[in-house]
Amino acid sequence: MSIERSEPTFGRVSRLKGTVFEYLSLGASVTGIVALGVLLIYVAIDAFDLVNASPEWLLTYYVTLVLPLIGFCLYSANDRSLIRRTAFALGGGLVAMALTFSVVESFVRPIPRLTWQVAYLFVVVAPVTAYVVFVGSREPIGRTGFGLVGRVLGGTALGLSLIILFTVFDERLWFLAYTLGVLPAVGVLAYSRVNPSSPVSLLPVPVALVGFVAASVLRGPVDVYPTAWLIYVWTLVVPVSAIIAGLTAQRDGETKQTAAIAGVAAFALIGGGSLAAGSLGVSSEHALLVLLGSGVPTVMFGRRVVASDTGRVGLFLPVLLVGGALAGALIAESFGFPAPDPWLDASFVTSSPSRMPERAGLYPAIVGSVLVIAFVALLSFVLGVGSAVFLEEYTVESGVVGATTRLIQINIANLAAVPSVVYGLLGLGLFANLLGLGFGSVVTAALTLSLLILPITVISAQEAIRSVPDHLRQGSYAMGATRWQTTKNVVLPEALPGIFTGTILALGRAIGETAPLIMIGAAHTVFSPPNGIWSKISAMPMQIFVWSDFPQAEFRYGVLAAGVVTLLIVLLGMNATAIILRNKYESGV
Amino acid sequence: MSDASASPDLERSQGIERIRDRTYGGFFVVCALITVLTTIAIFLTLLSDSVAFFSEVSIADFLTGLHWSPNPTGGGSDFGAVPLFVGTLVVTATAAFVALPIGTLTAIYLSEYATPRARSILKPMLEVLAGIPTVVYGYFALVYVTPALKATLFPSISTFNALSASLMVGIMTIPMVSSISEDAMSAVPDELRQAGYGLGATKFEVSTGIVVPAAISGIASSYILAISRAIGETMVVVVAMGAQANLPAVRDGLAGIPYVHPGDVLLDPGMTMTVAMVQIAGGDLTGGSLPYDAMFALGLTLFAVTLVMNVVSDLVANRYREEY
Repeated sequence: MSIERSEPTFGRVSRLKGTVFEYLSLGASVTGIVALGVLLIYVAIDAFDLVNASPEWLLTYYVTLVLPLIGFCLYSANDRSLIRRTAFALGGGLVAMALTFSVVESFVRPIPRLTWQVAYLFVVVAPVTAYVVFVGSREPIGRTGFGLVGRVLGGTALGLSLIILFTVFDERLWFLAYTLGVLPAVGVLAYSRVNPSSPVSLLPVPVALVGFVAASVLRGPVDVYPTAWLIYVWTLVVPVSAIIAGLTAQRDGETKQTAAIAGVAAFALIGGGSLAAGSLGVSSEHALLVLLGSGVPTVMFGRRVVASDTGRVGLFLPVLLVGGALAGALIAESFGFPAPDPWLDASFVTSSPSRMPERAGLYPAIVGSVLVIAFVALLSFVLGVGSAVFLEEYTVESGVVGATTRLIQINIANLAAVPSVVYGLLGLGLFANLLGLGFGSVVTAALTLSLLILPITVISAQEAIRSVPDHLRQGSYAMGATRWQTTKNVVLPEALPGIFTGTILALGRAIGETAPLIMIGAAHTVFSPPNGIWSKISAMPMQIFVWSDFPQAEFRYGVLAAGVVTLLIVLLGMNATAIILRNKYESGV
Repeated sequence: MSDASASPDLERSQGIERIRDRTYGGFFVVCALITVLTTIAIFLTLLSDSVAFFSEVSIADFLTGLHWSPNPTGGGSDFGAVPLFVGTLVVTATAAFVALPIGTLTAIYLSEYATPRARSILKPMLEVLAGIPTVVYGYFALVYVTPALKATLFPSISTFNALSASLMVGIMTIPMVSSISEDAMSAVPDELRQAGYGLGATKFEVSTGIVVPAAISGIASSYILAISRAIGETMVVVVAMGAQANLPAVRDGLAGIPYVHPGDVLLDPGMTMTVAMVQIAGGDLTGGSLPYDAMFALGLTLFAVTLVMNVVSDLVANRYREEY
């Protein structure tokens, strides 16, 4: 793109204008980013009360937590020049930041609510850490360490989401639906795998639907149920153990015996672990779900790493982090360093909204958001992939169908530009008032937000499907496969990572939307989590909107900041998952 | 699939597979049609309540009336939307004043000056600007930007004001301008640049004299899209701009020419169409009342404006595109 300019030998051309313009445009490129960065720093300072963090306290955690992490990444990267550059950046940044602050404060004016230590933390330490984590995680040791930490964190988040879903939904209905719908359908599917030509192979979906209807009918009359713990074991632990056994046999090429042992071991681990937690006073049901979410992937990953012989040292990263945090807490406690009192803490995410800033929490809004997003994920994934498959695989170029397809395509592009508040009106007029699905209910919110992000999911799914090379399709058709067989066996498996990435990014958009929720009449304040899909909910952005009306400084610079940071952390987690997924599969294709 | 079956029953399997193929094909068609149904549903929902509204309030009163008070405490209500149009215009113009120059310069930098490495860092970071929830931008405007403006440039700024909301809307729309414009600039063939350099032009002259004019249709279409986004923006203005549907005072100026002081518009609260809708939604939502219908009339206006702008942007991009 760029052309190297050779030195002019005929006459002289002034470069001043060009140089000024280049730096002007560079400045413009970073304006928005810098502005957002400053605002994010301030909101983080408010949410974690870093104004009141003493330098000693910051130094303690810097030494016990951040430096070991950077050291681990440097050890993993094993690159001398990187070590030198990191040390230079950390040391030079420290001096530069202290100097800048003292100059500005003595000659211009004090910078409000920002000490040079905190500024150093955000402006120098955070980017440097992010960079060395990025570099270090590409090497085997770092990949092992961060893979393990990621699985523990992501799995725990998944387990907590499951707990939230089961506090709202009736686990007994799920028990019936699983026993009568899912199990028979899986049985039929297995049978049709063995006999592909039998008409039974058309039945899995109808069988499942009949089972679900039967379950919802029988839920009332039947009144003898196993305990919640047994239901979870029967509906979640048993199938997961079976899947683990299957995966072990398939992916790792182990014998059937080893596979069976792996399955039984998983079963024993989760079941036994949850019972042990139960005897320690934690709810054994909750422990089971968290173990299911985090324990299984962690153990499987650990087993693979131990077997694979590279980067085993990385398995110590969680130990390093937890040990560092504990050591920091111990030192800060024993020397009595003044610690900040963050707004965003465990009680904030587990308590209900309140007029008192100290007691205000986000719990019902978090539950509402999780619930709505679970439904939106399901709906928009099915609808988005269905539309994209039609537009890319099933349609034809010419004739009425071709014209309709072009119309649909233009329509999708236009839908993407419709303001979100208009979708709110659609939800209010159609779902809430005309169909009577309830004002601000989970169903209304989920339907509205699904339609809102549908254009994005369709477009990204189309891109993913289009990127599947055409010779794979041709090969499948040449074998005599039908369009559906080609789609199911060739196109979708190849396109699935891309589709997941696009869907997660679109869900990130849905979780931050507020205007449609206001229009459909979502609750301004709810004090208890929803107890069903028809109950009125709040959501994280909705709660932030409501709190922004409160004029007290404790709300403006405390509770609100904590709510915003919670929302941004959830968004960050979702986007990071999407990006990791994309990077992982992009290199493979 | 499995090579274990010795003599496959081709006929039968064909029949079943055809049924399956048809069934799933039908399902996919339904999915695709839902996107069309969404548009139709939006249009019908907006239209049906708007018709009810315009049978009570004439279209002329709605479009030219100077007073907006849908839920007065006593007496009749006014549905003149001009103050809302003015508020929307103020926010959109100010946001465009921020986003268009910055976005264009960003696109020029990314397309012409940046190294691949710088581009690979800057582009995802710009995308982050578009990914932050809008209610968070509103919070930033209310809690950080307004006090900062009050402490430095404008001591008379009120707690809720159009300026800080517009600034945030502007920052939010930068990536929209920059990414579409950059695509258009990157699509300009290299021969044109080479020809410019061959005539002795500097990089600055090539960028501003060749690349930008050649990509002007894409740049214009990105401007229209960004403006349409700013018109429909809701949460930033709801949180930070307040809700007072006032027309700015017209002052008698020098030499008797009346003028509107920008400070009256920017530093005071105002109301956009979207804010008016959200404000009505805070009340009764069961339908049937006149304010409820007014909300849909505003929604229809908004929908029509953004749709027209989107179509125009498409036309501009296609019609005036230089073919290479």
